[in-house]
Amino acid sequence: MIRRLPIVALTSAALVLTACANGGDSSDTPAATNSTSNAGKTITLWLAGGDTPDELRTYLSDTFKAKTGATLKIEEQAWPDLVTKLTTSLPDAENTPDVVELGNTQSPTFTNVGAFLDISDQYDALGGDKLLQSFVEAGSVDGKKYALPYYFGSRYMFMRKDVWKEAGVNPPTTLDEFNAAVTKVAQENPRHIKNFSGFFIGGQDWRNGISWIFANGGDLAKKENGQWVSTLSDPNSLKGLQQLQTIQKTASNAPADAKDQTPWLYVNDNDVVTDADGKPTGKTSLSAATIMAPGWAHWSIGDAAKKDGKVVREWNDKKFGTFVLPGNDGKPAPVFAGGSNIAISAKTQNPELSKELMKIIFSPEYQQKLGGAGLGPANSDYVSSLGDDEFAKALIDSASNSKLTPAAPGWAAVEASMVLEEFFGKIEGSNDLAALAKAYDAKITPMLNGK
Amino acid sequence: MTTGTTTAPTTAMAGTPQRANRPRRNRLPLILIIPSLVLLISALGYPIGWQIVTSFKQYGLMQQFGAPAPFVGLDNYKALVTDPYLWTVVVRSIVFCIVTALVTVAIGGAMAVLMNAVSTWARVVLQVALLVAWAMPVVAAMTVWIWIVDWRRGLLNWALVRLGVDGAEGHNWLAEPLSFFVVASVIIVWMSVPFVALSIYAGLTQVSTEVLEAAALDGANGLQRLRHIILPLIAPVLSIVMLLQLIWDLRVFTQIKLLQDAGGVTNETNLLGTYVYQLGTGKGDFGTASAVSILILGLTIALSAYYVRSLMKEDV
Amino acid sequence: MHRSRVKRTLLTTLALVLAFAWAFPVYWMLNSAFLPNVVLQSATPTFLPFGGSFDNLVSVATDGSFGQALTISLIVTLTTVVAAIMIAFLGALAISRFRFRGRASFVLALLLIQMLPAEGLFIAQYKMMSSLGLLNQAIGLAVLYTAAVVPFTIWMLRGFVAGVPADLEEAAMVDGLSRTKAFLKITFPLLAPGLVASAVYAFLQAWNEFTVALVVMTEEQSRTLPLWLRGFVQASASRETDWGQVMAASTLVAVPVIIFFLIVQGRMSSGLVGGAVKG
Repeated sequence: MIRRLPIVALTSAALVLTACANGGDSSDTPAATNSTSNAGKTITLWLAGGDTPDELRTYLSDTFKAKTGATLKIEEQAWPDLVTKLTTSLPDAENTPDVVELGNTQSPTFTNVGAFLDISDQYDALGGDKLLQSFVEAGSVDGKKYALPYYFGSRYMFMRKDVWKEAGVNPPTTLDEFNAAVTKVAQENPRHIKNFSGFFIGGQDWRNGISWIFANGGDLAKKENGQWVSTLSDPNSLKGLQQLQTIQKTASNAPADAKDQTPWLYVNDNDVVTDADGKPTGKTSLSAATIMAPGWAHWSIGDAAKKDGKVVREWNDKKFGTFVLPGNDGKPAPVFAGGSNIAISAKTQNPELSKELMKIIFSPEYQQKLGGAGLGPANSDYVSSLGDDEFAKALIDSASNSKLTPAAPGWAAVEASMVLEEFFGKIEGSNDLAALAKAYDAKITPMLNGK
Repeated sequence: MTTGTTTAPTTAMAGTPQRANRPRRNRLPLILIIPSLVLLISALGYPIGWQIVTSFKQYGLMQQFGAPAPFVGLDNYKALVTDPYLWTVVVRSIVFCIVTALVTVAIGGAMAVLMNAVSTWARVVLQVALLVAWAMPVVAAMTVWIWIVDWRRGLLNWALVRLGVDGAEGHNWLAEPLSFFVVASVIIVWMSVPFVALSIYAGLTQVSTEVLEAAALDGANGLQRLRHIILPLIAPVLSIVMLLQLIWDLRVFTQIKLLQDAGGVTNETNLLGTYVYQLGTGKGDFGTASAVSILILGLTIALSAYYVRSLMKEDV
Repeated sequence: MHRSRVKRTLLTTLALVLAFAWAFPVYWMLNSAFLPNVVLQSATPTFLPFGGSFDNLVSVATDGSFGQALTISLIVTLTTVVAAIMIAFLGALAISRFRFRGRASFVLALLLIQMLPAEGLFIAQYKMMSSLGLLNQAIGLAVLYTAAVVPFTIWMLRGFVAGVPADLEEAAMVDGLSRTKAFLKITFPLLAPGLVASAVYAFLQAWNEFTVALVVMTEEQSRTLPLWLRGFVQASASRETDWGQVMAASTLVAVPVIIFFLIVQGRMSSGLVGGAVKG
């Protein structure tokens, strides 16, 4: 150790000189931004899936390095495996990731078991009440903040304008109009396509289906006297479920076991080969006039076209359109908000550096970059950075009234048990929705409060 | 199986293995199994021990993050055993594994006989095809199979429609549990037959051709030769292959999970493998998941007890 | 065995049909690897990749992460194979050539280990590897894989070893060879096919394993091929899953195994003759 001292001194001197030469950032706590002491340190950020584009990741690494002198390592985790990895790695102080992104529906569960650091002290500086409150709630316990919103997405409707026109139906302005409209389009079936759906919604697709529950004032669960209770059989929820049942019966020809994967397949024409007149020569796979999907689905919708030698989908304004699911009260219907939260691991060895990263993430620059990439920024001040093309407008509108799944500690278990898929899959064929809903309430309530 | 004869070697060099009928000087075999023991105890000892102990505790996500894990004795087991759903899954799994294993061995055996009966080039073609199928990674294979049975773009429906079966258009093969399991069974049979066929074929090639020719001369036809000569000779091969298939098919996980992701109602198609996963990773209830694993172990032993005992006896 | 021509032709046809049926999914995977995603999602299947391209394969192979994952997988898998064969071979020798106290228990234990489902063990395995500092280390993963593979490999090899009568060594020794030389010159070569067969089995197990690797190799640069493949099967906010790429990636993962397989195929069929499964 003694032998190393001169080397350490020399290195520190060199770094100090470099830091001085670069000019420091004066507004942050000295410890976290002291380049010399942080030079050898690395913190790890786990991002889920490919949602955060490379450009933003580079920005984070560069800015972090410039600000703190430490290195940021970003690791991408696949969504299906995220929970497994969080379960094993977060409790392990030696190997825990420092900052993690996780789904908003997963946040209550992990927050409640104490996986994350209490960052209530940072809350106001990071945006405070301007942050998307439903997401903040998902990451809070007893008023203390642990997981904050990272970005939000939303769901809206993608329609085949041309088919709607051929069916002679106008885009709806209220929920009731919507329910009737899609049924009519299905009945008209102007192109005489087999098993055509006015609105394609899979039998087990609860993430889209719950919009009807929400739109009628119902909810999946509520907190009563400190305990969570499942509310599928509440009168308002039932009203929504009944509307959904009608849609499933009359407007949708989706299979009873379909979930919400790849809905864009049904709206595209999917033909690559066109003859001289531009008419498709292969069999069309168009089978729905309307689908409901997360905003990012628009990249997969459109006509097949060749760009830079690659086949991509190009949006065609004459064929395709978007609209937000309308409510009956003049506002957009509450839909299921997609998105992620972000949190610091409770066992992190680098809490100060992690907090610095959070500051960068919640900085105006980064928030605007998120918007620019089509990801709704957590801070409402910057929502306009999403742009003003039709997708941005639809995203902002539909998100304005969006809802989350209940912030119950046991919610992740409910999702893992696939009981909602099961329930929704049975709606179409049920003769007594109220009884079915009650039966499933009985199954879900015990799971909600966690063990 | 041969062990030592009674004639001992006249020269004993240092480090040479001893004959089996000299147990008093037999430290060599123990030395030979030391690497195995060390490996198994160090790599599997802790995880298996942890699982057994955890099955007696209440261990959920909270405990993973530091909350104390109270001993609850047999509570996890009691809760499982009194849960009708578990029994549904158990029965489903047993039926599935028996049917799939039987079909696998039957097809594999038939293929082996076929390989024995055709000319060399045909046999090699078949063997290569089997090997190539066996080597394909499960994820890739499942992706292709899921594609094949896809209700919209799947090859199966497309082919059926071509053949005139109109009702097949858009038919969803995964929606109904029974159909789901038939698909799952076909896939697993496809994946398991190569190993079975090649193993049984190996056994077949050791059946002496002279005995078979003599029987043929005596008037026994192909089927009779099969039943009375070949089958008894390859019985050991068949039974061990069957046992292995039963063990593996009872625990099957990846294939079912990927099929469930692609379609079908999860809770109606759960087998033991996916059920354990649902409890563990899904719900974070590792105490119960461990208990189910132990139960599966017990179940497997029970199912194969007869064979295992005869194996141990024969192992004299 | 005299068969009529007709019968022979029928049987040959049957064999070819079965070969086609079994190899079909592999062909489909290869076919899809050459096609772009849009074509793959069409309702009409495309059987031959004319007009397809190497794009998928190229983009996937030059990803940078492929080479790394391939290296890690090779290191882990080959280590596992070599270690498992050596350890299991010794064990197989012990239980098939000798009788000793505790032999029955050992064999029974081997059987029981194989019967325990592995899905519940990953939490404990993670804790163990973490406390030993072996996370993200190829050697750590190899140890876990070796332990998983050894029980079955001992079983397999036991049959092969037993299939070589000790008398052969006897005879060689009567001729003047030492015990060890006799073993190496006579017995060992006869065991080679069996060793190869076991090696292939071990290779496959380690090459394709997913869950333990997921949990133990937490960093991107220490990913094995199955983890790498997983990364392609994901939609995200900016793109949907490109199935052409997934199939191309799968092909890359499968091809080394298949090549390895075909090389040892000749030795292997005679290896299986010895029979793991002779009982």
